[in-house]
Amino acid sequence: MEFNGEISDTDSGIILHSGSDSPTTHTKDVTTHTRAMKLKHRDLQDRLEICILELKKLCIREAELTGRLPDDYPLLPGEKPPQIRRRIGAAFKLDELNIPQGEEESELSLVDAELALQMKIYEAARKLCEEHHTSKAVRKSRLLQRKREEKKLKLLQERAFQLRLEHGRSSPLPAFNIAQQDLGTSDDSSLSDSVVQDEEVTSQSSQQSLGGLLCPAEPDLPQPPPEPSHSFVDGPCMSPSAAPQSALLTPSQSPRPSLESTQSLNSSPAYDLPPIQHSPWTESSLDQPYQKSKKSRSSSRTSTPTKTELLPPLEACLPPSVQLSHLRLSRAQSNSTPSTPEIRVHRQLSLRLSNPESSFDKERGRVRGPRRRLTDVTITLPETLPSAVNYGNLANSEDSNSEHSFTSYNSSPCQEFPCSSPQPAFPHSSPVGSYGPQAFPRTGFYHNPRHQSSPGFHKAYYNDEMVYPPDLDLQRSYYAQPAPSTSSRYEYRYKDAPVPHQRAQRPADIRLSPSPAQWDHPHYRSAGLPQQVVTEQLKSWHRRSQLKAPRSRSLDRQGAVRVKNMAARELNCYANQKYHGQVNQRQALQRSADDSQTHWLVDDGSHYMSQV
Amino acid sequence: MAFTPGQPVTAVVQRIEIQKLRQGDNLILGFSIGGGIDQDPGQNPFSEDKTDKGIYVTRISAGGPADEAGLRMGDKIMQVNGWDMTMVTHDQARKRLTKKNEDVVRLLVTRKSLEDAVRQSMTRP
Repeated sequence: MEFNGEISDTDSGIILHSGSDSPTTHTKDVTTHTRAMKLKHRDLQDRLEICILELKKLCIREAELTGRLPDDYPLLPGEKPPQIRRRIGAAFKLDELNIPQGEEESELSLVDAELALQMKIYEAARKLCEEHHTSKAVRKSRLLQRKREEKKLKLLQERAFQLRLEHGRSSPLPAFNIAQQDLGTSDDSSLSDSVVQDEEVTSQSSQQSLGGLLCPAEPDLPQPPPEPSHSFVDGPCMSPSAAPQSALLTPSQSPRPSLESTQSLNSSPAYDLPPIQHSPWTESSLDQPYQKSKKSRSSSRTSTPTKTELLPPLEACLPPSVQLSHLRLSRAQSNSTPSTPEIRVHRQLSLRLSNPESSFDKERGRVRGPRRRLTDVTITLPETLPSAVNYGNLANSEDSNSEHSFTSYNSSPCQEFPCSSPQPAFPHSSPVGSYGPQAFPRTGFYHNPRHQSSPGFHKAYYNDEMVYPPDLDLQRSYYAQPAPSTSSRYEYRYKDAPVPHQRAQRPADIRLSPSPAQWDHPHYRSAGLPQQVVTEQLKSWHRRSQLKAPRSRSLDRQGAVRVKNMAARELNCYANQKYHGQVNQRQALQRSADDSQTHWLVDDGSHYMSQV
Repeated sequence: MAFTPGQPVTAVVQRIEIQKLRQGDNLILGFSIGGGIDQDPGQNPFSEDKTDKGIYVTRISAGGPADEAGLRMGDKIMQVNGWDMTMVTHDQARKRLTKKNEDVVRLLVTRKSLEDAVRQSMTRP
């Protein structure tokens, strides 16, 4: 406490501290200051004690690990150093031989170090196993432990061996690796057991304790008398790693003919010779077209050159097993008339099942123009399908698409206007008149997608979602479609599904990609509509067709589906909607045209914004 | 890729997305592959385990799409666009990679340096 005295004597310090000149404050300051200092002192003492305790703990821990109490151990006068019980088996002295020198082979050395340690661990486990005066449970657990360590050891040995195979050819190896080195470098069939045996002999002659060391690797051999435990602590006289390794290698190697050198090198019995002969290991560049002719694909490829550009045979892009009857039907129809949307739906969906490989092969012979169209059209499909399925039933899997029947979907307006003449305003009247309810549940449609488009939904169909690149053919082909029935859907798409838009670069899911649905589109070429509108129209078709339950053929089929699948609150909302639609059905004619025009404008704007 | 029979195979993988380069009629990927279950795995200079019949990247053309995407020589391809590549023939792998109607291939590759990095970070936190 000389501390206190010092400070209480001298005012100057206090003055300096407090910075005030008044004598009255001086005295006050002195008392408060001493008290503060005392507090500080006690605080420091406490901290010192804590630190000492911590140091003690650390020292004891160190002693546990090393077996020696470090000199730093804080001993109070009269205190005796604590007795440290060393943990059994915690200390291994690794063989110097096994610890690789040099850093040039860091990977290998890492494995080697691990291997050396693992050898010791295994050794210890084995020794523990051999103790006889233990209880059954203990022995059992030790046996288990030994097995585990043995497995680890083998793995490590294998790993080190493989590494050495790679590195070994150039770099000098320690003596104990000679066996492996020889095995690794001999690529030809001259590999024989003699190499290993020679190595065993040499290592046996050089190492006294080899007999004891062979046993750990081969637990089935008669065990030698257990060595005194201290010998396993001081390692240098102990195992060179070559001994167990060669012992490991021999059994698996000897019964085998030395035909496949690298195969037979593996010590694990799981790697048996393969039943088939391998062709030599080759590489092939992925930049050149594939040269090798595959007979399996030849059938589909032969049909390629005969294809015309407009209507190639559908069979060409399908494996013979897939839905041929279905396709023939639609093909016949499409030949007679410009295809209706219904047929298009048929095709797209059934073609989705086509074998990617065959279409891939088919494309090889084709001109680039049609193929581009093909991919473009394909791309629009996958985006709509998942959402459409979900619309009806959230639990539906995407695969269930193919189960839906699309034959009932015959109401698409495009059917009435397959012509290519641009008639923006006029054609609206007739489809809207006949399909009024379809055209008007706008808000209903608006609500539903919201309901469905949770983030989880988007994520779930991540793979299937695709964005359509600008696709002129497609856009033109649907130009003639009346707008009113779809305007609300445009809104929905832009508001609710920005995610797919941003994923423009994703490739099609392989299952979905190869549908070459473009055959019909050339018929529909015309100019002038925004691309987006048309793709949206196509999508809405799909959605509607998906929505349709097989039975519901009434005019307001969306309504029917919704009644079935939607939550009760939405049902209510829908009822209004439906009523509204029926009332408005007659007015649809007049209103739709105007509505659609404005809506289109809006949609375009939002589309371009979303792309920016 | 140490592999014990009966144990699940684990690998540290990296996602690599290669944008194919269109050059006239064919698509350029910018790398070569070797291996496959129909080829002798013992001759594979890249594999750690000489019984590994996986698909390995044997060559990278400098400046090519694969190079830009970060693919390296010796990488083992685990998946291509979600398709398994650890148990395919050489030709199957080729086809998956060179599909003409896909402009992007997404690979899952594993390489030793990746595994080592992870192992290091696990052993020395």
